[in-house]
Amino acid sequence: MNFSVALQILISGLNLGCIYAALGLGFFVVYSVTRVFNLAQGEFVMLGGMLTASFYTMGIPLIPSILLAVIITALAGAGLYRFIMYPARKSSGVTKVFLTVGFALAIEGIALRVWGWEFRSLPAFFNSPSIQLWEATIFGQTPWVIGVTLLMVIGLFFFFGRTIQGKALRACADEPLGARMMGISIERMALFSFILAAGLGAVVGALITPLTMTSYSVGWPLTIKGVLAAFVGGITRAEGVILGGLVFGMIEAITAGLIPGGYHNAIAPGILILVLLFRRHGLLVTAGRE
Amino acid sequence: MSRKIIIVLMVAICLIGGLVSCKKPEPVASYKIGTAVAQSGKYAGLGLQSLDGMQLIVDEINKTGGINGIPLELVVYDDKSEATEAALGAKKLIEVDKVHALVEGTVTALGMSVVTVANEAKVPTLILSGTALLDDQLGDWVFRPMGSEVDYILHNLNYLSQDLGISKYASLLENSGYGQGGKVFLPQLSPSYNMTIVVEQYFDPGASDLTPQLTNIKNSEAQAIFIWGSSPTASMAVKQAREMGILLPIIATPPQVSPGMVEAFGQYYEMAPSLVALTCKIDIWQQLPEDDPDKAMYREFNQLFTERYDHPPAMWNVLGAQLIMFIEDGLKRAGADPANLEEARGKLRDAFETTKELDLLAAVYTMSPEDHYGGVRNKMVLVTFKDGEMVYLP
Repeated sequence: MNFSVALQILISGLNLGCIYAALGLGFFVVYSVTRVFNLAQGEFVMLGGMLTASFYTMGIPLIPSILLAVIITALAGAGLYRFIMYPARKSSGVTKVFLTVGFALAIEGIALRVWGWEFRSLPAFFNSPSIQLWEATIFGQTPWVIGVTLLMVIGLFFFFGRTIQGKALRACADEPLGARMMGISIERMALFSFILAAGLGAVVGALITPLTMTSYSVGWPLTIKGVLAAFVGGITRAEGVILGGLVFGMIEAITAGLIPGGYHNAIAPGILILVLLFRRHGLLVTAGRE
Repeated sequence: MSRKIIIVLMVAICLIGGLVSCKKPEPVASYKIGTAVAQSGKYAGLGLQSLDGMQLIVDEINKTGGINGIPLELVVYDDKSEATEAALGAKKLIEVDKVHALVEGTVTALGMSVVTVANEAKVPTLILSGTALLDDQLGDWVFRPMGSEVDYILHNLNYLSQDLGISKYASLLENSGYGQGGKVFLPQLSPSYNMTIVVEQYFDPGASDLTPQLTNIKNSEAQAIFIWGSSPTASMAVKQAREMGILLPIIATPPQVSPGMVEAFGQYYEMAPSLVALTCKIDIWQQLPEDDPDKAMYREFNQLFTERYDHPPAMWNVLGAQLIMFIEDGLKRAGADPANLEEARGKLRDAFETTKELDLLAAVYTMSPEDHYGGVRNKMVLVTFKDGEMVYLP
C-alpha cells in the first residue's frame, strides 16, 4: 500500500467516522434520558436533508434553510414523544421500540407523498471546492462534516456536563426516582431529549446531503448505521458513541480500499458481532456500569 | 323511537340497494392483466414510472375498441418493493382477481419472486428484469421481453476498444443484484475485445465516500473506468472521480443517466472526457436521423405520453408500455375467450412463445419454447453529454 492510498483511506475514514458518530449522538441523547432505543432517528436525518434541500431549491439561503429544517424536524421529534411515546410511557421497552419503528414507517410514507421518490441534492456548503492534499483529495463538504460534528460533540459535552438542564437530563436516566424527588419533571426532560435528538438528526441530514444525496427512503439504512456505531462504542456514554462512529467509519474506509471482491460490507457488521460477544456493553463501557 | 325509524330506514336502503345491484347488467367480459409494481418502498420511483407507461397503453388500446373487440383491464397491486409482497400480490391476482396474464414490472429482484408462483399456477407472466443471469430459471410460463447487460457490455466494450483504442480498464461495481451482472459478464466478455480488467472495485448503494476505491483505480494502469450501478451512489461516483482529478473516460449503465441523475450530476458528466452511457432511444429520439425506422414510433409515444402526463417519457415509462404492447400482440394472435380462464391462459402462453420479430420501442423480439427472453435485437444507443444536453453518439 502506498502513501496516497493510506492518506486517502485516513481522510475517507475520518469523514465517514464523523457521519456515523453524529448519527449515533441522536440515539445517545434519547437513550440516555429515556432508555428508549429510538429507531426513528434516521427519519429525522432524512427530514433534515429533504427539508434543507427543498428550502434551498426554493431560493432560501443555506443557513436559514438548515434552521427551518431543524425547527420542523424538532417539532416532529416533539410530536413523536407527545403523541406516541408519552401515552405509551408505561409500556414495556420492546413496545416502545416498535412504536418508534411504526413512527419511522409513517414518516417515510408521508415523505413519499410529499416529495415523491426522486433523489434531491445540495451543493457542498457555500460551494466549497475540493482540496488536494499531496496525492489525496478532500471533498469540499468533508471539512464541514468534520467541523460541525466536532461542534455538536463539544456542545453536547458542555450541555450535559456544565448546565443545570443537562445535569437534570442525566439525572433522569441514572436515578429516575431521585430525580423526581428533586423536582425534575421526567416527562419534560424526555420531551426535550426527543426534540434535541431530532434537531441533531436534522443537522446531520443537511450535512450529508451534499455527499450522498437524499430521498424519502434514506432514513432506515441510516438508522441501522447509527445503531451499529452506537452499539460498538457503548450507547450509554457519549464518548463511546463517538469512538464507535469513528471506529466504524475507519473500518469501512480501510475495507473498501483494501479488501478485494466486494466483501467489505460484511466486515463492519461482523466486527459489531465480535465486539458485542466479548464486550457486551460496547468498547468503552465495562459490565455492571450500564 | 327515532332509533327504530333509523334502523328500519337503513334496512330498507340496504334492501333497495340489493335489488338495484341485482338488476345490473352482466359485466362485459374483458382481458384482465394483473400487475404488481412497486408504488412504495425503494423501487417506487421505477415502479410508478412503469405503471404510467402500462396504464397509457391499456387506455389507448381500449379507446380503439380493445383487442378483437374485447377491452383490457389492468388490476394493480403495490408490492412495496418487497419480494414477498410481490409474490403474495401475484397469488392474489391469479386466485382472487383471476387475471389472464401477469406482469411484474419493476426490477429483477421483484420479478424473480413471482416466477415460481406463475409457473405453479400456470399463468402467462412477463417480468421486467435486465439481467441474463436468470434466463435459465424462467420455466414454461414466464417471459422476459427485455434487453440484458450482455447488450450493454458489447456496445460499451466495442466503443472503448474500437473508438478509443483502450485495452486496459477498471471496473467499479455496485454491491447489489444489479451489480452482479457486471461482476459476471464483464470478465467473460472482455477477452473477445482483447481487453483486460486491471482492477475491480466495489461500492455499496448508499455509500457516501468512494475515494479509497477510486484511489486504487487512479494508481492502476487503467485507461478507462466502467462504473456499474443503479443507486445514486453509482452516479455520485462520477462526481467524486472528477473531483479527485481522475480524467479517464468513464462508461456508465442506464440508471446513471436517468433524468434525476443527469439533473444532479450533469456538470460532472460533461467534464472532459465526458461520460458515455448506454440508454433507451426515448432519451434522444429527436436527435435520431430521419431515416431511423424507430423515430416515428418514438415521436408517437412521446406525444401520447406527454399529452397525458405533462412531462416527456423516460426509460421505465417505455419499459412498462412495451410490456403491455407485448401482451397485446399475444392476445391478438391467441384469439382466446376471456370467459374460459384456463384455456385463455394456455392460449396466451402459446402465443407468447411464438412471438416473431415483434418490433417494439426498446427492442425487436422473437420467442421460442427454448428461449423466453426473446432473441433480442436491442435498440439501445450510446449517449454523451454536452452543454446541459444528452447527445446521441452514433
